[in-house]
Amino acid sequence: MPSYTPSPSPSLSASPAPAPARLDVAADLLALLRDTRTEPRPDPQLEALTLAVSADLPVLLWGEPGIGKTAALTQLADTLDLPLTTVIASVHEPSDFSGLPVIGDDPAEQGVPLAPPDWAVRLVRQGRGLLFLDELSTATPAVQAALLRLVLERRIGSLRLPADVRIVAAANPRASAADGWELSAPLANRFVHLQWAHDHEVVIRGLGGTWPRAVLPRLDPALLPGAVDRARRAVCGLLTARPALVHRLPGTETRRGGAWPSPRSWDMALSLIAFATAAGSDRDVLSLLVRGTVGDGSGLELLAWLDRMDLPDPELLLADPVHAELPERGDRRQATLEGVVEVVKSLLTEDRWNAAWALLVRAMETGAPDLVVVPATTLAALRREDWDVPEAIERLAGVVSMSRRADRSMARAAKERTGAGR
Amino acid sequence: MSGEASTGGLELDREKLFAARLHAARVRPYLATALFALHPVESRRVPTMAVDRHWRCYVSPAFVARTPVEELAGVWVHEVSHLLRDHHGRGDRVARARGLTGAADRLRINIAADCEINDDAYGDGLVPPEGVLTPQSLGLPEGKLMEDYLGRFRLEQWPNLMAAWLDCGSGADGLEREWDLGPDGAHGLSEQERDGIRFRVAQGITGRPGTAPKGWQRWADRALHPPQPWRELLGAAVRTATSGAGAGEDHSHGRPSRRSSALPGIVLPSLRRRPPRVTVVIDTSASVSDGELGSALLEVAAITRAVGGRRDLVSVVSCDAAARIAHPVCQAEGITLIGGGGTDLRTGFTVALRARPRPDVVVVLTDGQTPWPARRPDCRTVVGLFARPVRHVDEDDPDYVPDRPPDWARVVRIG
Repeated sequence: MPSYTPSPSPSLSASPAPAPARLDVAADLLALLRDTRTEPRPDPQLEALTLAVSADLPVLLWGEPGIGKTAALTQLADTLDLPLTTVIASVHEPSDFSGLPVIGDDPAEQGVPLAPPDWAVRLVRQGRGLLFLDELSTATPAVQAALLRLVLERRIGSLRLPADVRIVAAANPRASAADGWELSAPLANRFVHLQWAHDHEVVIRGLGGTWPRAVLPRLDPALLPGAVDRARRAVCGLLTARPALVHRLPGTETRRGGAWPSPRSWDMALSLIAFATAAGSDRDVLSLLVRGTVGDGSGLELLAWLDRMDLPDPELLLADPVHAELPERGDRRQATLEGVVEVVKSLLTEDRWNAAWALLVRAMETGAPDLVVVPATTLAALRREDWDVPEAIERLAGVVSMSRRADRSMARAAKERTGAGR
Repeated sequence: MSGEASTGGLELDREKLFAARLHAARVRPYLATALFALHPVESRRVPTMAVDRHWRCYVSPAFVARTPVEELAGVWVHEVSHLLRDHHGRGDRVARARGLTGAADRLRINIAADCEINDDAYGDGLVPPEGVLTPQSLGLPEGKLMEDYLGRFRLEQWPNLMAAWLDCGSGADGLEREWDLGPDGAHGLSEQERDGIRFRVAQGITGRPGTAPKGWQRWADRALHPPQPWRELLGAAVRTATSGAGAGEDHSHGRPSRRSSALPGIVLPSLRRRPPRVTVVIDTSASVSDGELGSALLEVAAITRAVGGRRDLVSVVSCDAAARIAHPVCQAEGITLIGGGGTDLRTGFTVALRARPRPDVVVVLTDGQTPWPARRPDCRTVVGLFARPVRHVDEDDPDYVPDRPPDWARVVRIG
């Protein structure tokens, strides 16, 4: 203040041009910096977010500040063609979410209406949109309480958000938030929890000028009925076999604020399987969604169940063993072959028995032979006395000799142990 | 690859390699899923057998040719163990945490990982390969984890180690090898698929207890229910307790907002700051180690300050046996130490609740060998329970079982 000189400096009055010109150069530099390219790149976490939002389930993104949650939401809003409204929860008061009490002329007669904030009114007027509630975990408890009513009941004061408004919230991980907040178990159970992490490689490439452009999932109308059927079969099948998984409140302190299985979250998982199936998403995306809904343990069991459900149908394989497509992965291939032997055993005819041998030959010729040994042994034991030995068995001679080799090796290993010396 | 194979001379003896895998799967049925999920890749650059984090197993044809089937079976189990135990992920994490950057450090990680596997991998149908590394051969105790072994030996101590060492690849220590096919190569498993296999193997082990050795059962328990760090648990509990309604910073309609005068007719809440008062009750027998108690007390003080409590709002009620530990810690931290209680936890509670103004939260640090107050106190209670593997036996009353902490307290197991 004391050093202020009221008269313009001589250099400025002599040439007024440099000031805007300098900013022009700065603008050029900024334009160069902003001139980045994008490249398509699969992004499972963004895909999972898109599917959960499409399924109209409240999503909670857990992630450190500054790792691109807002950027992801912007891209998501673009893709879904929804206007994005971002509300930073921590700078608001509870009344911004629950409505401001406005006292009229005669409160006793007319009551006290709760006036909604402007963004909510706009959102209702638009009829659709993506509402992003950022920094949920640093807001005061009263604000959080008001927000949760908004998320779960979709009400702001006297307003009700239209059905086409989708809500996503973001919170900092409990460990890193100094003034962090714990979700209570019932509230946690209503969210799809997605962990948001940055990909080192993507960040480096992005700073170098090329940001990823995720190709987001599209629901295929033709797949819808099949997707619902698959989702129902998966969840009902698993819960029939494992009734204990239906409801399991987490026992430890830190897990209560995360995903855990209950009829409500299984219902959410069912929707998400249907959405992921209809979108043709891969297993990684489904895994993020399912584990973020019913928790890690139950989620992994469900995925294992789906894995088994997705194995090729043994009856179809038996119908055309020579052209059968067997899974590539060894453990799944073995499970498939054992499934085939199982169905042959349940309805034993010579034709089916022969077809199974043909299938084992096919398996040996297209993959690792050791997988065939156990199914072949079981199948051989099913033979009825009057059945001819199929030709196919000769082509499995290599498998038999390999099995014997393993037997001899096991015998040597056993001798080694008892023989001591080492 | 096929061109290389035709000029390389020696063909990979697939039958031998797979006979060995069959042997391995028969003697370790609980690992069969994982063994069959491994995808073998013939490679002339790998010295023996090595895995990458995408569950490919690189195999040297020459190594297969010169190694007996029964030893190859052991190598299969060894390699799949690296993957199941997530040595690459843990190797990466430990390297980052301890600043281990060189190739020699990765070699040490590989050796430490080998020690973790080999102490109970062999025997019972599996023959240890020639020159196998065991904790015993390095003069180290058995049954530890890779992270423990890592700090316990130095390469210079064992100049002839290199000859004996098997390079287990990037799957064992997280360092990419020149033969790795990378994430985009064929037959790699995605992270979720890897988790799925690990989960299924662990489930198989816990589902049939008694068939797998102790080390694998411990692994399976951890894979299904990973241990929770007590600092985070205690932090979460204290934070929840101190930031609940009635304490901390919150909005309330109790006093009108300063903006109210500008907006007649509208009732605005105001932001009120009421830092939580926390009293820590230390009730402990001499069995609690000083280090444990000191660090737990410091942890509670740090958490409380982080949620807005001032130093003068944290106080400690100490029982006689613990005063010796609590005093110095409180002095150093500027925490008030109020009166000594008895040897009974209930006295500690009484002292804590008698204070005026009353605390918002009582944190109790105890080993649980104590009676509890009959009714719920008027404030939130967090119990930090020190783990005591051996139960205290009272000679006068051998059937005495200590009461469990009551339901109204949030309980966190420490240590």
